[in-house]
Amino acid sequence: MRVRAGVTVLCLAMMVAACSDSSTEAGFAGLAQQPADVDASGFLQPQPGDTLTFPEDWGPHPQHRIEWWYLTANLETSDGDPLGVQWTQFRQALQPRSVESEAPNPDNWPLEAAWMAHGAVSFNGEHWFAEKLARGDVGHTGATAEPFEVWLDDWRLRAVPDSDHWRLRAQGDGWAYDLRLSNTNRMVAHGDKGFSAKSASGEGSMYFSLVDLRIEGTVTLGGETLEVSGKGWFDREWSSQFLKGGQQGWDWFALHLDGGEKLMGFRLREDDGAFLAGSWIRPGGEVDALGSEDVTLSPSSWHESEQGRVPVAWRLTIPQYDVDVTITAPPGNYWNTGLYPYWESPVSVTGSHPGVGYMELTGYSD
Amino acid sequence: MMLVGAFISHYRRHPFQLAALALMIVLATMLWAGVTVLTDQARNSLFQSEEAVAPRVHVVRTDGQPVGVAEFAALRMDGLCVAPWLEVQRPAPEGRVIGIDPLAMGCFGEATPGGKSGELDGTPFLDISEAKRLSREGYDSRLYLLAPNENAELPQGYALREFSLGPSTGELADSFLLNLDALSLLVLLITGLLVRSVHRLGIAQRQASFDLLYRFGVQRGRVRRLLALELVVLTSVCVLPGLWLGTQLAGVLGSGLGQALDSLFDVTLYAGSAEALPWQAAGVMVLLVLAVCLVDWLVPQRWRGALSSSRARLAAVLVVLAGLVVVALAPELARVFAGTALVFVGVGWLTPGVLAFLAQRLSDRASLDGAGPLTRWRHRELAVMFRQLALPVVALQFAMATVLAVQALVTTFESTFDDWLAQRLEAEFYLEVPPGADASLAADRLRRLEGIGPWHRVSRGEAGIVSESGGGDKTLPVDLFALAPISDLVAAWTLLASVDQPWQKLEQGGVMVNEQLARRRQLEPGDVLEVLVRDTVISVDVVAIYADYGRPAGEILMAGSALPEGFVARFESFSVNPGELAMAEIREQLAEVWNVTDVTVRDNASIRALASRVFGQTFLLTRAISLLTLVLAAAALLIMSWVFFTTRVWYFRLLGIWGLPAKAIRSQLRRLSVILTVAVTLAALPLGIWLTWVLVARINPLAFGWSLPMALYPGFWLELGLVAVVTGLVVAHLMRRQLVHRASGQQVKI
Repeated sequence: MRVRAGVTVLCLAMMVAACSDSSTEAGFAGLAQQPADVDASGFLQPQPGDTLTFPEDWGPHPQHRIEWWYLTANLETSDGDPLGVQWTQFRQALQPRSVESEAPNPDNWPLEAAWMAHGAVSFNGEHWFAEKLARGDVGHTGATAEPFEVWLDDWRLRAVPDSDHWRLRAQGDGWAYDLRLSNTNRMVAHGDKGFSAKSASGEGSMYFSLVDLRIEGTVTLGGETLEVSGKGWFDREWSSQFLKGGQQGWDWFALHLDGGEKLMGFRLREDDGAFLAGSWIRPGGEVDALGSEDVTLSPSSWHESEQGRVPVAWRLTIPQYDVDVTITAPPGNYWNTGLYPYWESPVSVTGSHPGVGYMELTGYSD
Repeated sequence: MMLVGAFISHYRRHPFQLAALALMIVLATMLWAGVTVLTDQARNSLFQSEEAVAPRVHVVRTDGQPVGVAEFAALRMDGLCVAPWLEVQRPAPEGRVIGIDPLAMGCFGEATPGGKSGELDGTPFLDISEAKRLSREGYDSRLYLLAPNENAELPQGYALREFSLGPSTGELADSFLLNLDALSLLVLLITGLLVRSVHRLGIAQRQASFDLLYRFGVQRGRVRRLLALELVVLTSVCVLPGLWLGTQLAGVLGSGLGQALDSLFDVTLYAGSAEALPWQAAGVMVLLVLAVCLVDWLVPQRWRGALSSSRARLAAVLVVLAGLVVVALAPELARVFAGTALVFVGVGWLTPGVLAFLAQRLSDRASLDGAGPLTRWRHRELAVMFRQLALPVVALQFAMATVLAVQALVTTFESTFDDWLAQRLEAEFYLEVPPGADASLAADRLRRLEGIGPWHRVSRGEAGIVSESGGGDKTLPVDLFALAPISDLVAAWTLLASVDQPWQKLEQGGVMVNEQLARRRQLEPGDVLEVLVRDTVISVDVVAIYADYGRPAGEILMAGSALPEGFVARFESFSVNPGELAMAEIREQLAEVWNVTDVTVRDNASIRALASRVFGQTFLLTRAISLLTLVLAAAALLIMSWVFFTTRVWYFRLLGIWGLPAKAIRSQLRRLSVILTVAVTLAALPLGIWLTWVLVARINPLAFGWSLPMALYPGFWLELGLVAVVTGLVVAHLMRRQLVHRASGQQVKI
């Protein structure tokens, strides 16, 4: 669930289309509104009852407006120091295209979709981040379902042929990573068979994850290459309009608990409260969908920085599973300072179910 | 309140004085605001046109095939920073547009082509999908893949090349803008003098009122404070309409530039800033008015008296001499500016006294020669006028000197610019030899084409000038250009110095060197150079020095037939006049010879027209500024003369009482005023010529390392003289009206 970044892509695409910046002023809520310049008539909107289809759903959904491929990883160096990695690629369509239609001719430099990739590394209280942009259908960015591959310039996540693992490579100013991801066949469908509601009035998205990735490889920081290994969480999500007006921001958590359970939870902040949902994944892989009545989530500590004030410690409870934990970001500044900043940090989990994970906070930027 | 009442009472009795000072502040602000806006406008226009034609690095395929979307995608996926640049050439009046992909520009950082604003409004940049749509309508187009710099590491099969839509105007434009700034400063100086002159006149006329106040026990400090307050209020009120008028004036003058640029790029390149008032200019003007009008209070009384003493005149001469020496010898720009300021201060100090002295001498000589009393009276009266009107006289002198210098500078720039364009765009068409293609095959084919006009092949490589001075061999790297054949295309080049028949001597094995290399190595035609080409050192005669218009790198030019073995050309091109043939035919022939699908041909005529029009409009703006300065100075002289004659009207009336016919009085008045303005013009001539020399021969070389040729335009001096005569006649007419008005109650007809 990476809605704030979706705003970024939308605005970039709109910039390309020579629209005004006014759409950005709507902030987070702007995603719920159809931009005036974009023809929404042909976009598909996920609904309860929609199901996942494989392998197609690994690839792009040109009839949907927004989608992303999203990896977060809680790794350790050979010295046992924690190290966090993020890689994300977004697609934002300016006009819908049916699955049967041919892709536009690249020679015409089409502008049907804008793509954006984010890469970040968090280590020892420091945070490295880079952003890349590209227009779709030209060739240097895109995604395919089979063989599975997502790329933008020389950043690439792809299934290694004749194997059961993927390889992810990306680099920015002063950082690079080259990672091998395995256990890529244990999927979790969130919500109702993949339909994840995002408000009480029914807006939502299609959403599934790989929650138990094993990752190993190298991370290079400032010329020093570190051997790393650890756990990863991979999200696939797409929609056309899944937030409603008045929602101000997004708090999202993906946690690997030491007992083998996995927990995904999010809170959409609204004018008059919040919409909470999530998934409780047992060690055996069974998934229980969580609703607002099942989860409590409240901030307990805040971090002040130039970009804004964000909650960096949280209390999360799920009474039915006796979960009562504190989620804490390590000291440091974990803003992804792209065109529209958001917070993305590894977290540690203490309390009834200790563990590690990742936290994304949007809508807190000044 | 009594004091305020006294101040207001004076202006109630003499409203013209207040109006004159207010008018002068309004006009001065208008001029300064206009100059500020126009200078900014000229600067923006140059920057924007430079952005559109600036040289860039692009990626080409070494097999000569054009690059396309596939190459762009492949290079990006290889991790290389490249961005598409699609030029679409539409016929006039729509003009050329450039399609770019803003999403691909992130890796360019500060070097983002098309500006950093991210706004694509077709000026001339638009989204590449839109540009492609235009190209599909049948317009000529070409895709480049830009790279941010020359250091990119490319995969095999690709190479980097420089390209530009036209020759870079960077250094020439910078030079021009520097001179424009210098002009602005002079304008500020002149406006300051004008305002001060009117203010001083008003103060002199109010002296009796002030003396009365002092006798009533009012402290001098209090009067001064009130005078300062009066000036602040008046300036604040007058600056606003001045600002507005200046902005409107600049808008009218600048619209010509905007229209020209419109036609070049289809849409407005520079949206005039006439809607925004230049508040900074207002602040500068308020400070200037206060400074020039109130500076007297900072100068002790005895110093002021000393300013007109013979010792002070000697000091002024010394100041002028010191300024001249500083300007002539100073090794850096700041000192040249300081020296120029010294000369202006000294000349301004001396001019009224010198002119008055000359008038007095004429009067003395007239006495000796037995000339009539009227002649002697006229010369003495002239001497008085030069002293009384010192400030406006000096202001007019400075304005005329500035106009002279600007006119010479702009005309010189124009002719230099034409020569510079002629040298770089000597042929109608220019085409690059694709990477890997054999230029000699193309030369053979061109040689066999019947009906083709003059053409030549240029091979560019590297060489070194060997020097044995300094105890060890030192080699100065230079660019080596080889021409083959030596065609008529180069006949128009400006040679600064040469032996007889330089082009024939070049063909026989001599070399030409550019101005910068000649300066650095103190080379002259006839000197012998040791040139290292790869591993071979050859001795060659310097047969000419050619103007390089600011290219700082050393260059040598030789005939292609004289190139030593082993010379490797880094870049090759052809300059072609198609003559009786169509360029498309020549293009096809060369594509066939080189076995490529596309040959890039640059239409030099359209580039030349583009560059000439952009610069032409900028030159026009500069002329407008200088003309405006002159008009203001003349207006100031009119105002001052009118006020001055008001104080002398009783004196002229005596001429009538003594029996001089009205016609004779009018004749005397005309002579007086015309001699006054013409004398100022004559005094401005040497200053203007010197200022021209400073701009082209001192400021430019120090700022940019190259000089412009110094040229004088006596025809313009005559034009300026005519302006002076007309100004004098108008002054005489005003004086006559003044006399008629004053005399009407006394039955004296003038």
